Parts: sequence; structure tokens; C-alpha cells
Amino acid sequence: MEIEQISAHEYEIFFGPAHPGSGNFSVKLKVDGEKIISARADPGYLHRGFEKLMEYRTPIQNAVLSDRICVLEPLAWNLIHAEAVEELLGIDTPERAKYIRVVMAELSRIQSHIIWYGVMSIGMGFDTGFKIAFGYRDYILDLFEMITGGRVYPAGYICPGGVRRDFPKGAKENILKVLDKIDEMIKLEEMENPAFLYRAKGIGVLALTDAQRLGATGPVLRASGMKTDIRKDDPYEVYDGFDFEVPVRKEGDVYARYYVGLEEIKQSIKIVKQALNELPDGDFIVEAFKKPKLNLKIPEGEVYVRNEIARGEAGIHMVSDGGAKPYRVKVRGPSFLHMIPVLEFLLKGAQIADVPAIYWSLNGCPADLDR
Amino acid sequence: MQWRMVPELFKNLFSKPITIRFPHESIPIPDGYRGEHSYNVEKCISCGLCAKICPNMAIEMMEAPREYKEAYPQKYPKIDLGKCCFCALCQDICPKDALKLTKNFFLSTPDPAAVIKHPFHGEK
Repeated sequence: MEIEQISAHEYEIFFGPAHPGSGNFSVKLKVDGEKIISARADPGYLHRGFEKLMEYRTPIQNAVLSDRICVLEPLAWNLIHAEAVEELLGIDTPERAKYIRVVMAELSRIQSHIIWYGVMSIGMGFDTGFKIAFGYRDYILDLFEMITGGRVYPAGYICPGGVRRDFPKGAKENILKVLDKIDEMIKLEEMENPAFLYRAKGIGVLALTDAQRLGATGPVLRASGMKTDIRKDDPYEVYDGFDFEVPVRKEGDVYARYYVGLEEIKQSIKIVKQALNELPDGDFIVEAFKKPKLNLKIPEGEVYVRNEIARGEAGIHMVSDGGAKPYRVKVRGPSFLHMIPVLEFLLKGAQIADVPAIYWSLNGCPADLDR
Repeated sequence: MQWRMVPELFKNLFSKPITIRFPHESIPIPDGYRGEHSYNVEKCISCGLCAKICPNMAIEMMEAPREYKEAYPQKYPKIDLGKCCFCALCQDICPKDALKLTKNFFLSTPDPAAVIKHPFHGEK
């Protein structure tokens, strides 16, 4: 009879889903003392089945549903869904709608990056950063409430054909005021806390080759040294008309990802200001879509639309068989590859204390991972 | 000690807190907020579009109770706020503006029957 040898040093622990800093996601860690030998991601706690739900709803109802794919940036997902439907229908949106969409998508990106900074800070035990971030995020939520009617969920504000409502009176001034506040926050964020630096520099290093091999996109890939941004490479809406830069860092560690996030907030502020300056007059939605359409037939065909959202490359593959409801919708969430292969790779060999820092520096969202 | 925190300290000691005392005061609710529905049965033409567009099937067309049946012979929307996602599609599609979303967000209740809004008040 063989006796299984059990090491007294090696044991398994769970990070999440009940961990305060993990969200609805869990990682099974095999550790030897303080060092992690292997990590296994355990997703599925937030599966809601959007791909199937969308097959049972018309595009205008799906616009509302698409909010919920990612809790932290619903407007970006609204935009992708709307673009996919428009491409199938072959309609063009009015110029004003395009600018409003860019403003909302960028505000959504700023808001999401602020959360990123907040959760990364709290993951490292830097509570002040968390409080600053979530305090300033509320100013942007106030804007969303004024423009879309809801603080977090815009309920399909960006819908096929344009946007559901025009900017209310004073929206432009309010947005500019809030952007000044965000500038204020960036100044606070730039006063780098030494404790933060010690826990961020040289931790969770993702080399460029590994990042490409594992399929990282967006800020994670940019922090590893690759200059890529769908807004520049494959412009959608009116992004090709704006002057902005793509921040890149070479180190690929937690600090580089934090820095890329911070720079992206600055670039987004720049884009919003340009868009507000050039905001044209006119219709905010195609005339035929002013009243929500019940029996809108989508022509037969299939499209894949990709956008740059705060977390990386997001896409929707939509197939239609000519009916009122899509035949198949595939949602590509950027967090999937960040939270499973990249996270497992980075955690291998790391210290237990660095797990939250690495985990949150990848800016994962369990909601769009599980869908 | 870092001296640059001293002016910050005095500023915070004498400035108004950013938080508000919620049940006693509230942040201003903007126009166009999507809160509880208000329904006007007089304007309603019983077209049923709101029930058809509702993504959550929270609206059901129901017949008027017996005492109102003569005056209101058709079907009218019964809204289940527990299912509602407050997307305001029903408000947008309503051809007669009978259904509107108000600014009321005080909707939490321990009574499960209270979340169902009947078109005729007082009827359960």
C-alpha cells in the first residue's frame, strides 16, 4: 500500500469570492509558506446568460440589457451593441449623436479608471486612495443621472439609431465643471504615496511576449510596452478627428498599469473637451427611431464590432437571420483573458500579500468575464 | 511631519461635509430621472404597447375590476415594480403620454403586495 506524502508546507487557500477585495470571482491558490506555487481561476459566480437572453429580445430591449454586461461601464457596452445593430441595419447616425456618444463613452472610461485606481489602492491597503477615487467618481455619476436619468445604469441611453435623449440644458457647463474636479483628483493621485510605490513597483511583471501570448489587450498590453488602441488603429464613431495620445509604459508591472490608467484619464479629459467644443447641432437620433420600434426587422447577415473600452478590447458578434430578434449574439469581454490566463500566469511565484495588488491592477470585471 | 497638510487640515475643519444627512435632506434629483411610474387612466387608449416593449415583462394588461368595468371596458397596464428595470421604454413608446416616470425613488418596502401598481387605485 502506498502512502501519499503530504507536505506540511503546501496548502490551498481561496482568494474570493467572499474576500472583500475580490468581487464575484475566486482564485484557488496553492501556496508554500508565503509563496504561491500555482493559481487556478474559478469564475462563474456572476453568470447571467446575456448571449441567450439577447436571442429572445428585440434590439431596443437588448440595448437596455446590454447595460448590465459590465456594471462599471454600461455606456461603453451600450455603444458596442448599438454599433453592431446599426451595422446590420446599414444606417448611419446623425453627427450630433456621434459626438454625444464619444462624450459619454469617455466619461464612462474616466469613471471606470477612477474605480480602478480606487480598488487598486484598497487592495494595497491604501484606503485614502479608495476614498478619494469613489468620492470623485460621484461627480461623474451626477452627470450620468442628469443626462441619462440613472446614476449607474443608463438603460440603453446609447441605442440603435443614436442616443435616447438629447443633452439637457447646462449639460456642457456641468461636464466641464466636473472635468475640473477630476483634474483636482489627478493631482491628488499623482502625489505618490511611498507605501503605494513599494507595493506596486516590480510586482506582477508581465513581459510583452507573455502579454501577447496570453491575449492581453487594452491598458494591460499598453503597460507592457505595446502601442495599441482601437480608437487609433480602427477608429469608430468620430475618434479619428480627435487629438490624443496613447500612453505606453515598458515595465509591465503593477505600477506601469496604474500609470497607464492615470494617463488615460488625462487623455480622456482631452477628448471630452474637444468633443464638447465641436459638438454640432441637429438631431440626436435617426427620425425613424425617435419612438422605440417594436417590430424592427434586422436584415440577414453577421457583424463583429470591436471597441476600446476601459478594460481593453470589447466586441459583439451578432448574427441575424432576418427576424426581429438576433439569431446569435456573442459577447467578447476583455476581462476574460486578463482574469484567467494572465492572472494565473502572474500569480505563479508571487507572494500572498501581492495577490490583491496584482489582481486589481489587471482591471478585471467579473461581470463581463462571466457575462 | 509634512507641513503641507496643515492648510488642508484647516480647510477641512471649517468646510461643510461632502456627505448629506440622507432621510432629512437629499441631493437634487434632475428632471428626467427614471423613478416610480405615474399612470393616467383617462389618457390611456389600451394599446398595450407598453406591455409589449417592456424588456422584463413587468407590465401586464389587466381588465378593470367590476365596479369600474362599465366606465373602463378595456385592458389597462398593471406594473410590477419588483420586475421593473426603470428603462423608461414604456414612457417613450406611449402614444398618449399616459405613462410617465416620476422622480420618486423611495420604493423600498417590506410589503410584497405594495410593489404592484394597479391601474385603479385601492384595488388589490
